[in-house]
Amino acid sequence: MADQAISGDRVSGIEDESDLKRSITGKLLFFYVLGDVLGSGIYVLIGSVAGAVGGAFWLSFGLGVAVATITGLAYAELVTKYPQAAGAALYVNKAFKNRPLTFLITFCMLSASFAAAASLAQGFSDYFSQVWELPPPLMIGLLFIVVLAVVNFIGITESVVANVVMTVIEVSGLVIILICGAIFIGEGRADFGKLVEFNAESSPIMAILAGIALAFFAMTGFENAANVAEETIEPQKTFPRALVGGMIAAGILYVLVAMTAALTVPIGTLAGSDAALLEVVKTDILPVPLALITIVFAVIAMVAITNTCLVALVTQSRILYGMAREDVVPGVFGKVHATRRSPWVALIFAAVVVGALLAIAGQLAVGDPAPGEEKTTALEILVNVTVVFTLFIYGMVIVAALKLRGKDESEGTFKAWTPLLVFGLLANAGLLVYSVINDPTSLIWCAGLLALGGVLFLLERAFDRRRSESV
Amino acid sequence: MHILIATDGSRQSLTAARHLKTFVDPEKVNELSILAVIRPLAAVAFADELSVTARRDVDREALTFREAATSAVATIAAEFDGWGPKVHQRIRSGSPANEIIKCAKQLEAGLIVVASGGRGNVLVGGTAQRVQNYAPCPVLVVRPAPRQKPVRRAKEAGDKKESVKPSRRATKTAANRSATKRSKNEN
Repeated sequence: MADQAISGDRVSGIEDESDLKRSITGKLLFFYVLGDVLGSGIYVLIGSVAGAVGGAFWLSFGLGVAVATITGLAYAELVTKYPQAAGAALYVNKAFKNRPLTFLITFCMLSASFAAAASLAQGFSDYFSQVWELPPPLMIGLLFIVVLAVVNFIGITESVVANVVMTVIEVSGLVIILICGAIFIGEGRADFGKLVEFNAESSPIMAILAGIALAFFAMTGFENAANVAEETIEPQKTFPRALVGGMIAAGILYVLVAMTAALTVPIGTLAGSDAALLEVVKTDILPVPLALITIVFAVIAMVAITNTCLVALVTQSRILYGMAREDVVPGVFGKVHATRRSPWVALIFAAVVVGALLAIAGQLAVGDPAPGEEKTTALEILVNVTVVFTLFIYGMVIVAALKLRGKDESEGTFKAWTPLLVFGLLANAGLLVYSVINDPTSLIWCAGLLALGGVLFLLERAFDRRRSESV
Repeated sequence: MHILIATDGSRQSLTAARHLKTFVDPEKVNELSILAVIRPLAAVAFADELSVTARRDVDREALTFREAATSAVATIAAEFDGWGPKVHQRIRSGSPANEIIKCAKQLEAGLIVVASGGRGNVLVGGTAQRVQNYAPCPVLVVRPAPRQKPVRRAKEAGDKKESVKPSRRATKTAANRSATKRSKNEN
């Protein structure tokens, strides 16, 4: 035993490193990031992006990945300085020491996560309907959220092994797509000209921008890696590598998969499909019975979405728990269940909000679009809201990274290349402006979600006053 | 004998530690280890309900579960201040039951003390249950007193020497039912 050095019979403090075991290795972190990123995007969104851009939509994925990865560098830098679980809110607080701004970022994180989870639930029900068409999609989406909340409450997914297994399944789904692509090209059926085709309606630049804004959603989720920062072994060394490595790996997969989809399936079919990647499998390129592979692939897609959505729900309940401890929201959100040690109030609340978002977006999307206007799907509404919030948060994180330069630095601090960060900041800001101009209604959603945060804050204030009066 | 006390930051785990003190002869204990396990992927990786009030002025934007675990372990360790045996404070991360068992094996512990949250679990066994099933040594599981019939409970509890008064909830648990389960060739 390593810790017998100190003698005497008084209480001794924590003695050496062997008493402070951390459990997240670089490899596990890599899988955590990869799994989290992969689930969010490509399974859910590829159809919408293809519709917005045309055959060249892989470019949008590539650029979206690049911008997100630059933001990832800022996160990596800040995590090596402050390896704690709070993420963006912590960095902004360190940089600006301004409590209202910190609250705003925290509520933005929460809202982004709510909207992301709702988008994912929508994506899940779309794939589910490919396997079994009968149940109404909204019911499946809501059921999905409820089940995930229960799973998080029980803590089944706390197993690190389960996380790695899910990630491997996610990657295998994309590998199936790539194999389809390879066979297709091998048979000489590929028309590479399609890869540079653009949607005829708008200019290529606008088309690509529209695509990036959507594709950006595909990269969100990496910031949840901050959840496990504290438990990472040697975070200064492993964190930047695992985070950026995971993002680049996801990015390469995305671009290749997008190219495959563009080559094998007519863009119109992709854009019109609710489960677009399934269309690639349905082209019947693989020498396997179509019905079987369709179901297998749909299940894989659902696993991928589930994984990411689980992490989103964990993040939400953590944020709520953290805010309750800081007296920003009512204290009930800090309640931890006696046996399961889960923040059950926060989990229920998160599930209710996500369910409500899902229902509202579903209702809005049902209505007939005005003549001459494209129909916006429930998924696109929710994704836009997520992206607006996320771009704002990412931008602020880069600003925080730049502002905190020279502070709290040690030898092992990872430092991102400054011009790259500045470029990332501009890109995030540009995309944010574009997203808002392109879809002003997303601002209403954002305001609504932030107002919800405001209500919680006021409730806490009201109760807090009553409490202090009664004392 | 080396005793391993596991804490999940709950008041019940403090009660468990205090319960141990009521009947164990400190002369027979060589060392004591207090262990907290952080669950990195859980919604709340570690919730410290033992030392909440003391931590009002710290940098609260930095939600650190490690700090929570450290202060929970320190609170329990303080209970044994001057009791006799040397006290080690340990923090691990991973799945609580696994880590408790692993730690007990490494330390060649003679007894594990765990708190149980109470009701049984239909879906998945709780940490205490899993520790009982796979521990390399006897396990003391301290369960909360049942909430019904508080009057009779109080009488039964009788021995006010044990007087535990950390909180409203914990007073009820003064009359802990405890169950020791032994396995293999211990003692």
